[in-house]
Amino acid sequence: MSDGTAEVFDLGYQPYEGERTGRGARRIAIWRDGVRVSLGLGRGASAKVAPWLLIALALVPMVVLVVISAFMSPAQEAADEFELPSFAEYYEFAIVPIGLFAAVVGPQLLCPDRRDGVLTLYAARPITSADYLGSRWLAFFTVSAGAAVLPELVLYAWNALDARSTGSFLADSWDVPLRVLLAGGMVAAAFTTLSLLMATFTGRRAYAAVATLAVVLVGSAVGGIAEDDFSGRAADVASLVGLPQVVVAAARWVLADEQSGRPFGGIVYAGWLVLLTLGLALALLRRTRGLMLG
Amino acid sequence: MALVQARGLTKTYGPVRALDDVTFEIGEGITGMLGANGAGKSTSLKLFMGLLEADSGTVEVLGRDPRRSPDGRARVGYSPEHDCLPRAVSAAEFLGYMAEVSGLPRTAARLRASDVLRHVGLFEERYRPMGTYSTGMKQRVKLAQALVHDPAIAFLDEPTAGLDPLGRREMLDLIRRVGHEFGISIVVSTHLLGDVERTCDAVVVLDAGRLLRTGAVSGFIEETEAILVDVAEGADALAAALTRRGLAPRVHGSRLVLEGASGGDYDELRDAIVESGALLYRLAPERQTLADVFAPPAADAEATT
Repeated sequence: MSDGTAEVFDLGYQPYEGERTGRGARRIAIWRDGVRVSLGLGRGASAKVAPWLLIALALVPMVVLVVISAFMSPAQEAADEFELPSFAEYYEFAIVPIGLFAAVVGPQLLCPDRRDGVLTLYAARPITSADYLGSRWLAFFTVSAGAAVLPELVLYAWNALDARSTGSFLADSWDVPLRVLLAGGMVAAAFTTLSLLMATFTGRRAYAAVATLAVVLVGSAVGGIAEDDFSGRAADVASLVGLPQVVVAAARWVLADEQSGRPFGGIVYAGWLVLLTLGLALALLRRTRGLMLG
Repeated sequence: MALVQARGLTKTYGPVRALDDVTFEIGEGITGMLGANGAGKSTSLKLFMGLLEADSGTVEVLGRDPRRSPDGRARVGYSPEHDCLPRAVSAAEFLGYMAEVSGLPRTAARLRASDVLRHVGLFEERYRPMGTYSTGMKQRVKLAQALVHDPAIAFLDEPTAGLDPLGRREMLDLIRRVGHEFGISIVVSTHLLGDVERTCDAVVVLDAGRLLRTGAVSGFIEETEAILVDVAEGADALAAALTRRGLAPRVHGSRLVLEGASGGDYDELRDAIVESGALLYRLAPERQTLADVFAPPAADAEATT
């Protein structure tokens, strides 16, 4: 029988003798941390405000529209007058919260690591700078693509439920979810790459956010003026600096809902967006490698 | 067994030669990289970690080129000199994450994080954001993150920087424990000679990018051990008797100093005292500090002033 006294044993230092994971698992760890940072999970309430507010801004209008449509659905006349936006039209609105989300939240993935000197510790771990950056990029891409795609999937789900025959709707529009994913991916990739690139130039998140917004807004203004107020090939080419316009035009092309009267066909915008994103990604990789390895 | 091998290492930053054709090896135990600011200590550690590319020469850590083999860093720890801790995150979360990034499975990483924080004395404070930590606590977390994945060797760059004397002593004791009880070899970069004497088994001394000396700390001290002899009278007679026995004492009034003395010299000294009739009142070995060992000779010092 126990005499009621307890003993504390100091086992001393225990060397780790278990398995060690490979590069894939290390990348997943960085990706998981990036997703948590993007959404403010495990952080204080203030870290959650911006991401969730902007995600709500992208999602809630679509949900509200679908709810209104659902209420009107029984009254055939009213339902005929009320039209939900198309998948492509929704990007005309959603580009604002998605762009803001990238500008405000994206730098959170790199700026604190740079400001607090943590990049050196990553560089000293058994990963490469491409592993670190790729995982961080993918983390923010996952969240922002989710924010871009989710409202579209809500719309798609409602359209399927509201159709006379859900089965035939799904059979007729099987390609729509794929197009939605591709369009959302293109939009998210462009904004993710731009915001992370801006974040490599400063340790201050606010500066990176302002820089991202400046690039987007100034480009948009120049592109808009070139397209609306000037004519000729030079003006058409200049219109390509407007990232929001390019992104929306590319998304519309992917969603097979092109807008008429644009200087170029949708495929040109999509191709340009891919090239632009790749160029930004290369610059981002070079900057990050320089920051990590000096 | 050599854990680190540097051969002909040269690294320049523009016109500045941070390391100049340096060759040395670092074995198991605790090794101090000693030198003044700009001697090339931090550059050496960064080359060992693969954070920098050498202009010429090769470096191997645990048998691998750290620059070409990122996976080799799974068994290497590093604590930089500058601040490197995220302010908003707790030590437990950060260490668990760093262990995962270093190749430990998630559950094991969390357990190791708590365990290592206990060993460095931060178990109670492990859930506090690190931005609220004192300098001493931050230095402990920096050490802990270098150990959390159970490396075979850890490089610590100026681990006592910014600590008060008590904090410095505690940190050095901790490093000594890690090196001798945890079985993790440590390389400590420091410009403080006392840190090396107190903590290290071996030393690599750098000066302006060149290797001055390398070897066991105890060997350096023994090599330069001196015997102090104070006599009430008969100093000159004793000096003469010692000279006849092949020893070369320095005489400062009533004090004689026998430099580079070995064990057998004590017998000669005893006989010389008897022969000379000197009146002895103190005889003691003088343990030179590393400062004495590496201080320039008096003549050189005068020549440079």
